[in-house]
Amino acid sequence: MELNANAFGRNARKALLDKTLQAALGRTTERFLAHRDAAVAAFPEFERTRERASRIKLDVLDHLDTYLLRFIEEAEKRGAIVHVARDAAQAREIAARIARDEGVTLAVKSKSMASEEISFNEALQGAGVTVVESDLGEFIIQLAGEAPSHIIAPAVHKSRQEISSLFERHLGGPRTDSIPELVGMARRHLRAKFLSAGMGVSGGNFLVADTGSVVLVTNEGNGRLGTVLPRVHLAVVGIEKVIPRMSDLPTFLRLLPRSATGQAISSYVSIVTGTRRAGDPEGPERMHILLLDCGRSAILEGKYREILKCVRCAACLNVCPVYQSVGGHAYGWVYSGPIGAVLTPLLVGLAEAVALPDASTLCGACADVCPVKIPLPDFLLELRSDVREQGLKTPGEIAAMKGYAGVMRRAGLLEAIERIAGVLGQFFTKGKGIGGLPYPFSGWTERRDFPAPAALPFRKQWKIRRGVTR
Amino acid sequence: MTYTTGMDPKGPIPVSLFFTCLADAFSPGVCSATVEVLERFGATVRVPLSQTCCGQPAFNSGNRKEARAMARKFLLSFPDDGPIVTPSGSCAAMVKHGYPVLFRDEPPTLARARAVGERIYELSQYLVDVLGVTDPKSDFSGTVTYHDSCHLRRGLGVVSAPRKLLRAVPGVEFIEMEESDRCCGFGGVFSLKNPQISCKMTERKVERILATGASYVTSGDLGCLLNIGGLISRIGYPVKAIHLAEILAGKTAGKGGAG
Repeated sequence: MELNANAFGRNARKALLDKTLQAALGRTTERFLAHRDAAVAAFPEFERTRERASRIKLDVLDHLDTYLLRFIEEAEKRGAIVHVARDAAQAREIAARIARDEGVTLAVKSKSMASEEISFNEALQGAGVTVVESDLGEFIIQLAGEAPSHIIAPAVHKSRQEISSLFERHLGGPRTDSIPELVGMARRHLRAKFLSAGMGVSGGNFLVADTGSVVLVTNEGNGRLGTVLPRVHLAVVGIEKVIPRMSDLPTFLRLLPRSATGQAISSYVSIVTGTRRAGDPEGPERMHILLLDCGRSAILEGKYREILKCVRCAACLNVCPVYQSVGGHAYGWVYSGPIGAVLTPLLVGLAEAVALPDASTLCGACADVCPVKIPLPDFLLELRSDVREQGLKTPGEIAAMKGYAGVMRRAGLLEAIERIAGVLGQFFTKGKGIGGLPYPFSGWTERRDFPAPAALPFRKQWKIRRGVTR
Repeated sequence: MTYTTGMDPKGPIPVSLFFTCLADAFSPGVCSATVEVLERFGATVRVPLSQTCCGQPAFNSGNRKEARAMARKFLLSFPDDGPIVTPSGSCAAMVKHGYPVLFRDEPPTLARARAVGERIYELSQYLVDVLGVTDPKSDFSGTVTYHDSCHLRRGLGVVSAPRKLLRAVPGVEFIEMEESDRCCGFGGVFSLKNPQISCKMTERKVERILATGASYVTSGDLGCLLNIGGLISRIGYPVKAIHLAEILAGKTAGKGGAG
């Protein structure tokens, strides 16, 4: 997926003016949130489960190499072929080679954020393979030529009417506003693809080390069709998705759907363990697992390692008032919302996404809902400090900060400035709010007044009072 | 008296006031209201005059060098023992949670920072949790709704104290707003760097405030109130942004107000 994270401000302004997007965002995030809150309230063990999940993930981070080797060994024992890609370019090469070697011309894909990271579809198209997205939301945005705007609801930004005209244009269907009819059209189109595809491509929510299994949590059943019907199955998964034992899985299966959509359990949980065995009624003859490092092992070494606990539930997006205002595309890459604001700079380099750590008020709502307890606001703060350390702050901001610190280190100087500002402020505003300030305050005063400085600041008042009373 | 404290009930309680740079410059009435309320409950208020800013704007924008300089100054300004009380949840949270981050590689300062962090309280937190105030003895009257500042609620975990106090003022009709815990869009530097998004969030907050029909919106953070009040003032809505300290001090309409 193309990187456009440094245009956050411009993207956001465009998003704020998009009426369809605004309506869709409000509807969806509020519905997800309400369901999530209800599901969490109805599950008294949520806190304990959350704590356990966080502990399991921390253990994984401490011993990632051990668990990965175990996973690879167990998966290969069961007939899977495991590949590890160091970066996106290598991942694309491997994916294209797999498709060529397996003689695939058509692939059906179920949603995978990791594959977006490496521009998987483009890589396969380059190798002469047609890739059809089979997740309804992904299918819609593929027709529209767009990228996902939400981790679990990729087409959240599209209205029913927009979808209807997309289907009319691409599927030749009649124009309709009926959701069941639209779903039916997509289903008929996709069924044919499932039956003729040589390869099914999936992501993976979890990799179970002690069994070599890839676990898929879905609601549409397309993940199951894609891993069962085609001759070849390819799973594209980040290395951090490994969990130690099958017995750890229920912990995560309890948290993920509740945090994501507010469901107690998702409609489908597929546990894919190796290739079809003799006597198996279904399953792929060949299975490839493409593990993506793509910057993850570097994150593991540093102070942001806990970001790798993320299970991609999107609860932090739904609850984030910034995400709710501008949607996912504004963040300019695969991941959006608070998780994207932290993960994107870490994966693509801070200079390429320097605007994202500032795309938050640090309200902390994201940390409240995170099922694996990632300290997202702390990480945003830390990244902002890295921006300065790495020389990426604008000279203007640094100068302003130095000036501000220079004043604030001297109470007397501050008092003098306050008194001048107070006199000028009263003179120009007659005690009313200030409507138009110069840059960098101009954005603030575009639609809000700024208070006039007080004629008599408190410090001065206190000095007077002390002089009078003592 | 309606409060209990671990200290000698007959002696005055020495409390240091951290009045905050924002209130000092823009709403000194909030500072004097804080003093008034603290004195009402038996505190002797000390105001260290060398204090300036806790450094939160620098810290939150990633400028830690400048933040550390201000934090050092803060630590020097409050050398005594005893509680430090401030009419700002976010400034208190900065001292409590930000300073240990700033000085994590500087053990002696870290220890001092932690000790100061133990001593700092937001006003409503101090009144309810420390002094045990159940009746604020305020003569304020009006319909009031309350906005949870993010740092007070999530940073300090103060949710019920301001509500208890508001409900205990006889003249106050307290109306809870929808999404009271949702960020108002201020976020300090955020509102300068992303003003359009900030405004969008503030508009939603103001809609929720107006929906209550209250005459006043109050909060424990002046930043939020300047932001909310700034929008209200621009549009000219019939609701006033006023700091919790001013309500507790018994100021009525026209005498104060943050917006």
